[in-house]
Amino acid sequence: MAKKKKSLLKLFLLLFIIEVIIVIISSGYNKELQIGFEKGKFLLRNIEHPFNLQEKITEEFQIDEYYRQKGIEPTIYGSKEVYIFFKNTFGKENAISSFQLIRMLLIVDLILLLMALYIRRRLLSRPSKPQILFEMIYTALEEFVVETLGKQRANYAPYIVTLFIFIWTCNMIGLVPIPGFMEPTRNLNVPLGLGIFAVIIVHITAIKVKGVWGHLKNYVNFVKNPLFLLDIVSELSKVVSISFRLFGNILGGAIIILVVSSLVSFVVIPVGLSLFFGIFIGTIQAFVFTMLALTYIGVEISE
Amino acid sequence: MVFSVEYIQIASYLGAGICVGIGAVTTGIGSGIIAGEGALAIMKQPKANEQIFRTMLIGQAAAQTAGIFALVVSMLLMYGGFDVVEGGWFRAAALLAAGISMGIGSLGPSLGAGYSGGQACKSIARMPKESNAIMGNMLIGQALAQTSAIFALVVSLLLLYSVPNQPAGISIGRIILKSMALLGAGFSIGFGTIGPGAGIGFVAGKANDMMGRFPKEKPKIMRTMFLGAAVSESTAIYSLVVAFLLIFAV
Amino acid sequence: MQFTLAQGIVKAAALLGAGLCMGMGALGPGVGEGFVAGKACEGIARSPENASLITRTMLVGQAVSESTGIYSLVIALLLIFSTG
Repeated sequence: MAKKKKSLLKLFLLLFIIEVIIVIISSGYNKELQIGFEKGKFLLRNIEHPFNLQEKITEEFQIDEYYRQKGIEPTIYGSKEVYIFFKNTFGKENAISSFQLIRMLLIVDLILLLMALYIRRRLLSRPSKPQILFEMIYTALEEFVVETLGKQRANYAPYIVTLFIFIWTCNMIGLVPIPGFMEPTRNLNVPLGLGIFAVIIVHITAIKVKGVWGHLKNYVNFVKNPLFLLDIVSELSKVVSISFRLFGNILGGAIIILVVSSLVSFVVIPVGLSLFFGIFIGTIQAFVFTMLALTYIGVEISE
Repeated sequence: MVFSVEYIQIASYLGAGICVGIGAVTTGIGSGIIAGEGALAIMKQPKANEQIFRTMLIGQAAAQTAGIFALVVSMLLMYGGFDVVEGGWFRAAALLAAGISMGIGSLGPSLGAGYSGGQACKSIARMPKESNAIMGNMLIGQALAQTSAIFALVVSLLLLYSVPNQPAGISIGRIILKSMALLGAGFSIGFGTIGPGAGIGFVAGKANDMMGRFPKEKPKIMRTMFLGAAVSESTAIYSLVVAFLLIFAV
Repeated sequence: MQFTLAQGIVKAAALLGAGLCMGMGALGPGVGEGFVAGKACEGIARSPENASLITRTMLVGQAVSESTGIYSLVIALLLIFSTG
């Protein structure tokens, strides 16, 4: 136990040091550090970047609007050809945000896939450290599934675990100090998609258990339930509340970090804030989303 | 309606006053609840006074988060570069609404966090061995209660920084409409966070209390707390959606 | 879209009303749902063997208490999108 705590502490310390170094290198808030590849060469430079809070918030919140106002070509951290393809497919208004979103989603997927392959290849009866971690997450969540849905529906565990790990990775990836990295969950489309998906699964499960008519009876029974239209609204409000909770928390964290950082000229406090919002709030919200998706199913099938 | 540049300054100073004035009300009450329960707890269990004192101080600091948010917003309103000449009625309404939003918005969360911290002190007096677990749970509960204050802060920052200037040559009707929509956004998220903040605080407080009585049931209690707090928060989220619609879609 | 003064005032009142409606409407359900969840915590601590039953009751009870919040949301959306 003590050893585990120590290694966790080491990880925090490492993150802290990395963030401090980033702050020092980017020296002051009107400079921006760029790391990446340009024309096939590795690139690390500190460029002039006049800081205007109002513009910066527009850039975070409505990135397409920002570049349209400025009338400049956006800095894209990726392949130019793909960006042009996006521009032609989604239209000029949504080109940058959709490009950014899908790039980040692909990175998250790639990380998860590589991690899965790595752990799968080294499955041992005396497990290695990452294997222990994942087994812990899996058993804990599987316990919740069995407790809520009963033993015969333990096969919902993979869905729940996938949901948790995906959302958690999405929330964490904003901590990685590489320019252009942002949480995919900061874009409303991702939480909304996940929320709609979760509610659809609730209804599919309910239909499976109670039959089509048995499930619809709750909604179109005029005698028993004269306010059935409001039931449909409350079904929609489930989607709204589950997805806006995730979106609002992650976006709120991003905006608060930005404003506070500019107030204190990017000295130390932002590091603590980004650890709080990234690790603490990110984990809590991933857990809450998963638990809600699970208990919606539980409530629907238990009646 | 003749617009004079001073209206923007009037709105920002008025907003700053409202913000920190209303916001400080329950911040004081919440911290007071914690201190009162802490004193009572030390009376009951003088041996554990160190743990109780520490919990009390940390709990008070966490309960004042929403009040500090209100302070930050009112500082921004006074010194954040809003002595501007452009923007017109839109800017004035947005500044006033930002103050209202954060001021009223910190009422509920502070009260809730205060109740949670008070119950934690009481609970540590009952079970001093579990003080670390109880304090951790208190902090998580207070953070959950502050999420609605974070929503209010986000809306007020958006009102401060992302409302466009009033375009030239639009009709008076349109000006009144947009200004009232911005004020409405402030009222919506401001009042909307009171209930959820206080409610989540009650959940967290009960969880802390029960953790002192039945320390073995910790995982189940924490899970119920998470779930209950998440569902209680949904009305704050509806308010957030309505505020976003009023700011960006009208 | 241009408005006359009267139209503008009517729509402005509707929008301000929408904000107040959702804000005030969220007060009650928030406190009420919190109360339900707090009592559920207490119940689960006292009789942990009935945890899933209590959780279900809590969620159903919260869903019912939330209905007034949903009414407010519906009215606020109607005020924003279908008046004036």
